Amino acid sequence: MSSVYLDHAAATPLRPEVGEVVTRVSAEAYGNPSSVHGPGRTARALLEEARERVARALDVSPDEVRFVRGGTESINLAILGRFALARAEGRGDPLFVRSAVEHSAVREALDELASLGARVETLPLQSDGTIDLEEVDLVLDASPELVSVQWVNQETGIVLPVPEIADRCHAAGVVLHVDAVQAVGRVKVDPDRTPLNLMSLSAHKLGGPRAMGVLVVRAGTELRPILFGGGQEGGIRPGTEDVAGAVGTALALELALQEREPEALRLSSLRDRLQVGLSGTIEGMRVHGASAPRAPHILSIGVPGLPRDLLPGALDLEGIAISAGSACRSGSTTASPVLRALFGDAAEEIAPVRFSLGRTTTSGDIDAALNTVPRVVERMQALGVGA
Amino acid sequence: MKREGQRILVAMSGGVDSSVTAALLVEAGYEVVGATMKTFCYEETPGASRSCCGLEGIGDAKRVAEELGIPHYVFDVEPEFTREVIDDFVSEYARGRTPNPCVRCNSYTKFRDLLRRGRALGCDGIATGHYVRILRDPDGGPPALLRGIDREKDQAYFLWGLPPEILPLLHFPLGGLTKSEVRERARGLGLATAEKPESQDICFVPMGNYREFLEQSLPKRHPSLESGPIVDRRGRVLGQHDGYAGFTIGQRRGLGGGFSERMFVLEIRPERREVVVGPHQELFSSGLVVEKVNWLADEPLDPNEPIHVQIRHGSEPVEAAALPTDTRSGSLEIRFVEPQRAVTPGQSAAVFRGERLLGGGPIDSAIVPEPASQSAHSAGLPS
Repeated sequence: MSSVYLDHAAATPLRPEVGEVVTRVSAEAYGNPSSVHGPGRTARALLEEARERVARALDVSPDEVRFVRGGTESINLAILGRFALARAEGRGDPLFVRSAVEHSAVREALDELASLGARVETLPLQSDGTIDLEEVDLVLDASPELVSVQWVNQETGIVLPVPEIADRCHAAGVVLHVDAVQAVGRVKVDPDRTPLNLMSLSAHKLGGPRAMGVLVVRAGTELRPILFGGGQEGGIRPGTEDVAGAVGTALALELALQEREPEALRLSSLRDRLQVGLSGTIEGMRVHGASAPRAPHILSIGVPGLPRDLLPGALDLEGIAISAGSACRSGSTTASPVLRALFGDAAEEIAPVRFSLGRTTTSGDIDAALNTVPRVVERMQALGVGA
Repeated sequence: MKREGQRILVAMSGGVDSSVTAALLVEAGYEVVGATMKTFCYEETPGASRSCCGLEGIGDAKRVAEELGIPHYVFDVEPEFTREVIDDFVSEYARGRTPNPCVRCNSYTKFRDLLRRGRALGCDGIATGHYVRILRDPDGGPPALLRGIDREKDQAYFLWGLPPEILPLLHFPLGGLTKSEVRERARGLGLATAEKPESQDICFVPMGNYREFLEQSLPKRHPSLESGPIVDRRGRVLGQHDGYAGFTIGQRRGLGGGFSERMFVLEIRPERREVVVGPHQELFSSGLVVEKVNWLADEPLDPNEPIHVQIRHGSEPVEAAALPTDTRSGSLEIRFVEPQRAVTPGQSAAVFRGERLLGGGPIDSAIVPEPASQSAHSAGLPS
């Protein structure tokens, strides 16, 4: 089975140095950071040091960094927390706005809010996969409770114009949440110069530990907790803190940001080689988001005339690990909401493949993909196993 | 021990049979790939979650694949399954017949879809956990499909509809084992599914409630769900029923009381919404007609040779002979040596020569014995 791993947008291999530090801190910091005794103080000190390091890496202040359980929880806390606040302040049917291509964590959290009485609006996409800023201006006139947009799309790698949206939200006094899960460490993410209010990230997309995430809550942005039972994380995320996870997150984030620029150059040139090589050998292939700004680590292609659910398995059996769109949709044969938003009904007629590159991706991996993928596609097309 | 170039796709439902199938092929040295077919949207039918096709089944199949160290994929065949199996099930009941969706699934969906996907995955063969055997012809002829050794579990009846050209690609490792041996193997291998109960009901009908399923699937006020007369063979009205789609040949339940002897459903006449009933002796038929036969064997049927015909799952094949027929062109008329009870249109007739399944098809009509034999049953009238 797979030995060439090209699914870094789904999960990245743990950095060995992060693994070491997590193991070491797990043993050392056994105390509860809320306890008054020595072991508790040791744990507290390590936790706060991790918070400071994350804050420094992101250019925000330590009070603005909240450790949570993964990217999905970070996103849910931002969205449900704003809804709880609106309700507490007597706004019964607050308006929430998202783009048409958000991750299911955003989409389904908002579906839930809609069932609870919130109004939800979706910003349409332009044909190149980005957002029309005039649409943003229009929706801001309705004073939404929250606008939630992603920085980098998980299926196509398309970069949305977050700084421009942030400026507009800021000018209108509207709270902006940014899902930066695919963006941090890949594109320039600069909360201090981008006036966003809330930002979500996930450690395991950066070579960090699983189930660790951060919600950046900028000063002055109010939020209610969605879990109850302790005052941890500024009262926003109660529960005994994962000190080792926080330290591992800090280290992974620091390393990813230090390496970002040379790594982005390296990955985009590998990605381009893969794109050019596949385009030349796969009949009718299209590149999703080819005319939009794209993050360096994702190449999303569409292959016509193949069943939608078979390419990931067929490539897995030949040693290439990829996914069809986002990992959360494995086994599904209808087009993803993202590809539907981009291509409408035509999205149903192509089999999507997402290659995503990362720190451990080598030139040899790209060679292997270029060797294998066209051969497998050709075999499937020759069988006439059409969609 | 690796069988070079032999990559086999195994359909894994999450049940014990298909789990052991995969395990035996791994043991035999094949490169095994597991797949679960997602056939319909179980999320919306909570009552069906215990069946093999449920999400739980996918989870169990994944767990077993993990234990065996083989890859496992999920294939969404919902559109094909809906079109070929569920739609047919509904329209057959609406026509007053009693369909067998498991036959449809095996004939039109399961193997074709597996094969199509298996080829795309570079597989050389397909395996399932059916209790049947494949006997390959050393001289290169088409393989013979034989009944399973375990007569309680034998599933040859469901497979008459296979496209004959795919027989060489099929593997049925359980055909030579009994169910208890299979469970024993599963326990011995420590498989998570070793103690799983048998699945019984039709997988897409929650709690086995056909009537409710049909009411949801058919247009409102469909004739098959409207009340109509219960009549005897001579056309006398004996009562009313509340929709012929609820009845099957040989059934007693739901006819109401008031008869001087036990009455059984003999026939359903959808065009007049009639359910025809009669006493037990009238349930017997001397033969049956299959309009669309599927032939697995290479050679046509010799009308003089004794054959065996199975007319429902779980019953033994009975002695019969075929009238001269061209099995390649379609129809087949069969005469039983002994009259058979409740020959049911929509169910299948599977034709055997000894152990070997030759072919079969859906039963279109029963051949009623000569009028002479059905004289004295005026006793069947209500008193």
